[in-house]
Amino acid sequence: MARRVISVLIVLLLAVIGLLPLLVMFGQSLIVHGRLSTEFYRASLASTHTWVLLGHSVALALLTTFFAVVLGVPLGIVLGKTDLLCRTLLMALFTIPLLMPPYIMAVSWSYALGREGFVARWLSVPMAQQTSTWLFSLPGCVLVLGSTFLPVVMFLTMTSLQSVNPRLEEAGRLVSGWFEVLKAVSLPTALPGILLSAILVFLLSLGEFSVPTFLRYQVFSVESFTQFAAFHEVGAATASATLLVLIALLILIVERQYVRRPLASLQSTFDRAETVPVTLGPLRAWVFMLVCLLCGVLVIVPVLVLVIQSASPAAYVEAFSRAGDSLLRSVAYAAFGASCLTMLGFFLGYFLARRQLPFWQALDFLTVALFALPSTVIGVSLVTLWNKPATSFVYATPLIVLLGYLAQYTALTSRITVAALSRIPASMEEAAQVAGAGWLRRVACVLAPLAKRGLVAGWLVSYLFCLRDTGITMMVYPPGGETLPVRTFTLMANSPPRLIAALCLIMVAATLIPLGLLNGVVRPMRAAR
Amino acid sequence: MNLIEFNAVSKTYEGRVAVRDVSLSVTQGERLVIVGHSGCGKTTMLRLLAGFIAPDTGSITINGDRVAADGCNLKEPEERNLGMVFQDLALWPHMTVTGNLEFGLKAKGVPKVERATRIHEVLALVQMEPYATANPAELSGGQQQRVALARALVLRPRALLMDEPLSNLDFELNGQMRQEILKLQQALGFTLLYVTHNPDEAFEIGTRLVVMRHGAVERMGGVDEIREYFKTLSRHVVEGG
Repeated sequence: MARRVISVLIVLLLAVIGLLPLLVMFGQSLIVHGRLSTEFYRASLASTHTWVLLGHSVALALLTTFFAVVLGVPLGIVLGKTDLLCRTLLMALFTIPLLMPPYIMAVSWSYALGREGFVARWLSVPMAQQTSTWLFSLPGCVLVLGSTFLPVVMFLTMTSLQSVNPRLEEAGRLVSGWFEVLKAVSLPTALPGILLSAILVFLLSLGEFSVPTFLRYQVFSVESFTQFAAFHEVGAATASATLLVLIALLILIVERQYVRRPLASLQSTFDRAETVPVTLGPLRAWVFMLVCLLCGVLVIVPVLVLVIQSASPAAYVEAFSRAGDSLLRSVAYAAFGASCLTMLGFFLGYFLARRQLPFWQALDFLTVALFALPSTVIGVSLVTLWNKPATSFVYATPLIVLLGYLAQYTALTSRITVAALSRIPASMEEAAQVAGAGWLRRVACVLAPLAKRGLVAGWLVSYLFCLRDTGITMMVYPPGGETLPVRTFTLMANSPPRLIAALCLIMVAATLIPLGLLNGVVRPMRAAR
Repeated sequence: MNLIEFNAVSKTYEGRVAVRDVSLSVTQGERLVIVGHSGCGKTTMLRLLAGFIAPDTGSITINGDRVAADGCNLKEPEERNLGMVFQDLALWPHMTVTGNLEFGLKAKGVPKVERATRIHEVLALVQMEPYATANPAELSGGQQQRVALARALVLRPRALLMDEPLSNLDFELNGQMRQEILKLQQALGFTLLYVTHNPDEAFEIGTRLVVMRHGAVERMGGVDEIREYFKTLSRHVVEGG
C-alpha cells in the first residue's frame, strides 16, 4: 500500500513539476491572438539570426566538449590511475570551477584579460585590448566553460577506469607495458563512461546562458532569456529554445541507445582495492609539473585574480551589507532543495533499480531530459504555468524556486541512488521481507542505511547544483527572494570590481565550507567502516 | 633444473598476512598444484609470481633471474614471459578472439605473418578455429575457457599460471576441461602452476601438490602422499567430532 502511494505521488509530482510546465509552455507558444498558429516557429525558422545562433550554440558546445575531453581524459588517467604526487589535492583544486556558478570564472578572467584588467596594468594596453577581444568572444567562452566542465570529464574518466576489471589489465600487463595496456584495454573498456562525460559537457554547454551573456557571445539560451526577460515574449522565447530542446533530446536518445547499455556492463563485481596504480617512474616529476601548471592556469590564476581584486576589508563589508541576506537565502534554498531532491531521487531511484518496468524507464528519461534542458527553458515553462493569480501561493513564494530545482536536478539524485542500490544485493531486501518487514520499513531500515553513502553523495551533489544555479533562479525568484548568484549577476553591470570579486569569493566560500564540514562528518564514517 | 623459486616469501595486505614465509620450487615441465581453502594465500602466490604485487620480504626467481626481492619487483610482469588464465578469464570484451590472441604477439613485436600462423595453430589446438572472429560474449563458458587458454599459450610462455580456471564451469564441463588441459600440457610440455580449492581437481591435474593454510605451506608432496594426508585429516575431524 505504502509503495503504491509513494509511486503514485512520485509520478504526479514529476508530471506537475516537470512535464506539465513544458506542455503548457509549448501549447501557449502555439496560440497567437487566441488562435492556433505556428507563427512564432515559422518566424524563428525563417530568420537568418536563428541559424546564426544555432551555429554559435553548437560551435560553443562542441569546442567546450573538445577542450574538456582533451584535457579531462588525460587528467582522469593521471589522477585516477597513477602514483602521481598530491593526487587528492590536485583533484580537489580542479573541481573548484565546477562548484561555482560558471560566470564567476568569466568575471575573474575579465579582471585578468579585460581592457582594464591585470594585463593592461602590468603589461601593456594594446595587449590587453587583444586579450579582451579574445576573451569576449567564442575562445573566451570555451576557456571558461571548458575549465568549468573539465572536472565532469575528469571524474567520469577516473570512475570508468576504476570500474575496469583489474584482471583485464593484468592479462595485458603480462605481455605489455602500461601505456599499451591503457591504450588497448583500459580506455576502450572505459569508453562508454568517457563518451557519457562528453555528452554531459555538450549538453551543459549548450544550455549555459550566464557565461555567454557576460562575455557577450550570442547563443540560443541567451536569446531565449532576452526574449522572455526583456520583451516578455513567451512564444518567441519558446520558439527560440525549441531547436535547443530538440538537439538535447536527440543526443539523449543516442546516449540511451549507444552509451547507457555498455555503461551498465561496467558494473563492477570485484574489489576496487585490487586496482593496481600505474607507476610513472622517472616521468613522475615531469607529469606532476605539467598537471600543476595546468591547475595553475585553469584554477589558481582565476581564483587568485579574485583574491587580489577584492583584497580590502571594505569590499567584504560592503558585499555582506548588500548581499548578506542573499547568501543566507542561497544556503537555505540549496539545503532545503537538496534534502527534497535526495528524498525524491531516492524513491525514484528505488523504483528504477528494483522495478525495471518500461514505465519507470520513461520517467527516468523524463528526469534526464529535464536535466539536459537549458535552465532558461525550465524557467520560462515554470513561469508560464504558475504565474497566475490562483497559483500565487507558489509563484510568489520560494516554492517556485524549489519546483525549479526539483524539475531540473532530480536526475542527479535518482541516478546516484540507482548506482548505490545496484551495489546492494536484492537478497538484503528479500531477507527483511521474509522476516515480515513491510515495504516502508524495508526501505527505511535496510536499504537507506546500506545506501547511506550514496544518499550523502546525492545530497552533496544536489546541494552544489542548487547553490550554483543561476538560470532557473534568475527567471523565477519571488520578489525580494534573490539568491547570491542572482544578486551578484545583477550587480555586475554597475558595481565596482572589488565588490563583485568579494561577492564571487563569498560564493566560493559558501560552497566550500559546507563541503568541508560534511567531509569532516563523512570521513570518520568511512574510517569506521 | 628449477624454473621457479620462492625463497622465504611473505606478503601482508592491510595488516592481514596473505603469504607467510613460503619457500618452494617448480621444475621445468612440472605440474604443480597449490590447493587450499579460500583466503589461504594461493592466488596471492600466483599474483606475486606474475609480478602484479611485490613480496614484502623474500625473493622470487624465474629461470635463475631474480624477478622480485626486498619488497619490490625487479622485473615488470611483461618481462617475465609467463602466461596466465584468470579465474574470471579476463577476456577483453571489446576485442574478437583473434584480437585477444594477437594483442600480446603485437606487443612482443612478432611479425604479422608469424602472428597469423601462431594464432591459427593455437586455435586449432584448442578447437576454436571457427570462432576466430567471434566476440568473447558470443561464446559459451567452455569456449571462453579455451580462448583464455589459447591466449596464454600463443605467447609460448615459460610457465602457465592458472587461477581456479574451472571454478565457474558445471561438473561435466569441468571434467572435460581438466582432460583437455592435461592433454595440452603433455603435448606442449609447458610448466604449469595451477591453483584450486578442489582436492579432486588437484589430484587429477598435479604431479606435485602444495597444501596451503593461513598463508603458509602446510604440506608438500606427490599426489598419493597428499591424498593420504587429506584422508588422515578427515579421520581426525570425524574422530574429533
